[in-house]
Amino acid sequence: MSDTLTAISPHDKRAQQQLDALLEQEGIRRDANLDYTCGIFDEDYKLVATGSSFGSTLRCFAVDKSRQGEGLLNQVLSHLLERQAERGLFHLFVYTKCDSARFFKDLGFYEIARVDGALSFLENRPDGFGSYCRRLAKSRREGRSAAVVMNANPFTLGHRYLVERAAAENDTVHLFVLSEDMSLVPFEVRWRLVREGVADLPNVICHRSGPYIISAATFPSYFLKDEEAVIQGHARLDLALFRSIAGALNITARYVGEEPSSQVTGLYNQVMARYLPQAGIACRIVPRLAAGGQAVSASTVRQALHDGRLEDIRPWVPESTWRYFSSPEAEPVRRAIREQAQVRHY
Amino acid sequence: MEILKAAMAGTLESSDALVTVEPGEGGIELNLQSSVMNQYGRQIKATVLETLQRLDVADAKVTVVDKGALDCTLKARVECAVFRSCGKSEANIPWGGAVR
Repeated sequence: MSDTLTAISPHDKRAQQQLDALLEQEGIRRDANLDYTCGIFDEDYKLVATGSSFGSTLRCFAVDKSRQGEGLLNQVLSHLLERQAERGLFHLFVYTKCDSARFFKDLGFYEIARVDGALSFLENRPDGFGSYCRRLAKSRREGRSAAVVMNANPFTLGHRYLVERAAAENDTVHLFVLSEDMSLVPFEVRWRLVREGVADLPNVICHRSGPYIISAATFPSYFLKDEEAVIQGHARLDLALFRSIAGALNITARYVGEEPSSQVTGLYNQVMARYLPQAGIACRIVPRLAAGGQAVSASTVRQALHDGRLEDIRPWVPESTWRYFSSPEAEPVRRAIREQAQVRHY
Repeated sequence: MEILKAAMAGTLESSDALVTVEPGEGGIELNLQSSVMNQYGRQIKATVLETLQRLDVADAKVTVVDKGALDCTLKARVECAVFRSCGKSEANIPWGGAVR
């Protein structure tokens, strides 16, 4: 046998065609966003097995029917693990069909969520998600608890309005700030501005969202453009995990801002409104706060910063956010926003 | 030896093992998965722990996904992962020094 395991370049047309054919044959949808793909070719240079990665996730695995049962997946996965290790990524996730999950369970992965018998989501830590939930459970409070999840890119009066509303209607609010550093405003700044912005609300507890809430692993299409069906799939997976998180914190309601413009957040809201109640969690969609005849949103703030209209953001943001953006410390972030072509969330 | 960063050695292929070591939280935390757990689980565990002890590793999170590796393979994979984790794998590898 002279099989060859090698990387597949996005520019290798012949290999790409074989890749598409193999994925289609095995009934797997090819993800739009992949950062690395490898494959095993047989002696006639025919592609017989493949696997890809995107960030810390591994996906799009397929083995040709005629070559199943020979351990080719083990070779592909070993290769991808080694490559991820070279990039410094050790905490990894796998997306796969439910009936293939068992192969990954034999290779050191553990299932943490399942969507509809269609998708299984696994990680390579025996107790990763479990210990995350137990850590959160330490801040569990008696009484009515609600959750708010925000990217706060950056924190505006709109975010503040949503949190105030949740804080007024509940005994405790668990506020999750997306800790993935894929936004124009870096996480450390977003985190600080959120904490300063809600410091006077005693029943609000801030959490870093970690890898299990709207992260590049659970919800890649939140950060990178993708098709509607894909966004819905990711949103459902994200909510399957959120169910366990809500259980750990006794959360009975999630507050979300109404979404007039962004496609991905709009779809996410729809999916939440439909599936959260099935899990016994109320989904409260709160209309946007308006200031000066315009709905306040972080996209609008970024647009103003992009256009160099710093003064314009003042009525839309709390004092702490204004202080930050008008200070010299914010110059690198202001510059990044100015230089970005598209600052609105798609 | 002190585990400075996460490192990996080995593969998931038959007769091999994939060993990952990470900085620990005080003590050795071993997570072992093996295709021959019922037959050789205890011996694999003993081999891994013994190798770590010889390397003077006392604080580490160690994950082993074993696919039926022989003892010599296991030792080599554990040794390599530890050397990689403390930057000893680039030059002057202490062959046979810490591990007899």
